[in-house]
Amino acid sequence: MLRTNLGLRIPMGMRDLLPEEVAVQERLETQILTLFRQWSYQKVLTPTLEFSACVQPDVEQDDSLYKFFDRNGHILAMRPELTIPIARLVSTRMRGAEFPLRLCYGADVYRNTTVRHREFRQVGVELVGSDQELADAEVIALAVEAIAGLGLKNYQFNLGHMGIFSGLMLEAGVDEGIQTNLEEALARKDMVGVESLVRQSGLPGRVQELLLHLPHLHGGEEILDEVLGWSEQPAIREAVESLRRIYRYLNDFGIQANVSLDLGILRGFSYYTGAVFEGYVPGMGFPVVEGGRYDALYADFGIPQPATGFAIHLGNLLEQFPLPAVEGADILVYGSDAGQIIRQCQVLRAQGKRVEMALGITENEVAQLVARQKNINEILCVE
Amino acid sequence: MERDFLTIALPKGKLLIDSIQLLSRVGIECSHVNEDSRKLFYDLPDSKAKIIICRPTDIPTYVEYGAADLGLVGKDTLLEENKDVAELLDLKFGYCRFVVAMPEESVPPKLPNGDYDLSGLNHQRVATKFPRVTETFFSGLGMQVTPIKLHGNMELAPCVDLAEMIVDIVSTGKTLKENHLLEVAPILEATTRLIANRVAYRMKYGRIRDLIERMREELVGDVSAK
Repeated sequence: MLRTNLGLRIPMGMRDLLPEEVAVQERLETQILTLFRQWSYQKVLTPTLEFSACVQPDVEQDDSLYKFFDRNGHILAMRPELTIPIARLVSTRMRGAEFPLRLCYGADVYRNTTVRHREFRQVGVELVGSDQELADAEVIALAVEAIAGLGLKNYQFNLGHMGIFSGLMLEAGVDEGIQTNLEEALARKDMVGVESLVRQSGLPGRVQELLLHLPHLHGGEEILDEVLGWSEQPAIREAVESLRRIYRYLNDFGIQANVSLDLGILRGFSYYTGAVFEGYVPGMGFPVVEGGRYDALYADFGIPQPATGFAIHLGNLLEQFPLPAVEGADILVYGSDAGQIIRQCQVLRAQGKRVEMALGITENEVAQLVARQKNINEILCVE
Repeated sequence: MERDFLTIALPKGKLLIDSIQLLSRVGIECSHVNEDSRKLFYDLPDSKAKIIICRPTDIPTYVEYGAADLGLVGKDTLLEENKDVAELLDLKFGYCRFVVAMPEESVPPKLPNGDYDLSGLNHQRVATKFPRVTETFFSGLGMQVTPIKLHGNMELAPCVDLAEMIVDIVSTGKTLKENHLLEVAPILEATTRLIANRVAYRMKYGRIRDLIERMREELVGDVSAK
């Protein structure tokens, strides 16, 4: 049947990758996964389809999952990210493994949203089973090295800590309703909403000022001293000192100059529990790296384990790289005897050459023309 | 990308003059910018900035994608467009209210507390430029309505039986009165907001914070002057 209309289109947000585009994506992915391997991360793959009950964070909330039913009527969802599927994998088939466990992935994720790409490549790591600050520093350093290694200029990472704001709310005795609203407003980056919630909260004036000031602290280690100057509350002190240790490790990794402390990085309160970070590249309106510590997730899967990790939105980064010229084969083999051509091709391929077998070319002039058009360096005639 | 160079999107229309005045007072001199000329962007090398002029409803989009670092836009537009941008400051000008309004002769009965009883309006049609705000408001009341998206002159819809009611923004209420429409419920109030792209907000933090502080000072000055 001749394909017309719908049969010639692809769904919104999906895309085809042409040879040059695949070449860029594969080069970047190979480079990053090789780096992950050097840091002792092992690659795993999880299925494209999971049960929605596994990957859906909250059935009450809107989600952006592509969903289907299986034959038993259960709801299936295409994976929107890899962290939760990997938690499922570790908690079932790898629970006897030696922790801490270092795993990495490179896979397409699917999100039914209005953004340009609804299927895109993510590469990332999960470090499961360590609550040490050195583990946080390791994944941040690895993320910075991965982005730096791609040759991107002027990238920047910002590092915050969920525990400082949470500690402040705890100390102030902010009631649960206001806390939820505040967390939602902060996650939306609605600073006007945050301000009006805090002003209407009835909290003491000093606490109000702190809550409003905290998300604007941005800089180096001095901002941590400023926070300690406000509060001696153990939860805040613990979070601040933890962040300080991570930041100092980053100095040992030699990447502190690329990372700013930014206590305004506050997102996913129900998910992230400690240090959180984002990576930015000029010209990209969205963070290209997102990561942080999520110590509560594994308990949901029955094996409480601290964990940290990050994902790089590789699919969105592709446009930052010029497309290479298509690489042709090394040699074009032509002639009039098919049997001889086949044997010659086999010999050359066994030598490691990329060989194109001419289909129906017997003339030297034609072979030369085709080789030129296809960017093939050499031609060989077999008689 | 220069860390202290800003691209700022300003809305065509009624918010433009106030926006230009505010920017000029906080160190981004742009009083020559106007929408009558065909120019759509203005380079301001002395202020290390560029101004672009867009339709108000497009501003959240420009900012979300990072085509503009900052934007000035009404909260009404921001709510309707629902883009992923950082909302940094309430600029106080451009005040308006979202309301539900109906023809005078068909207003619902009142509840003991004086509010109109909207429950009888379930599943009716609402003409509006703001279907998202409309649906959110009515679903918050446990109701469903059918928004009919129009691009202007909402007041006409109930007269020709295209819809039973309208959801629109009003500033004085004059248009409603002229068309024999009565406000039956306030939805929310809106003013102009300063919004930022989430990456620009992190990467150009120093310059943007500085601008916010100067705007705050100007706004406090305005209030005390009044």
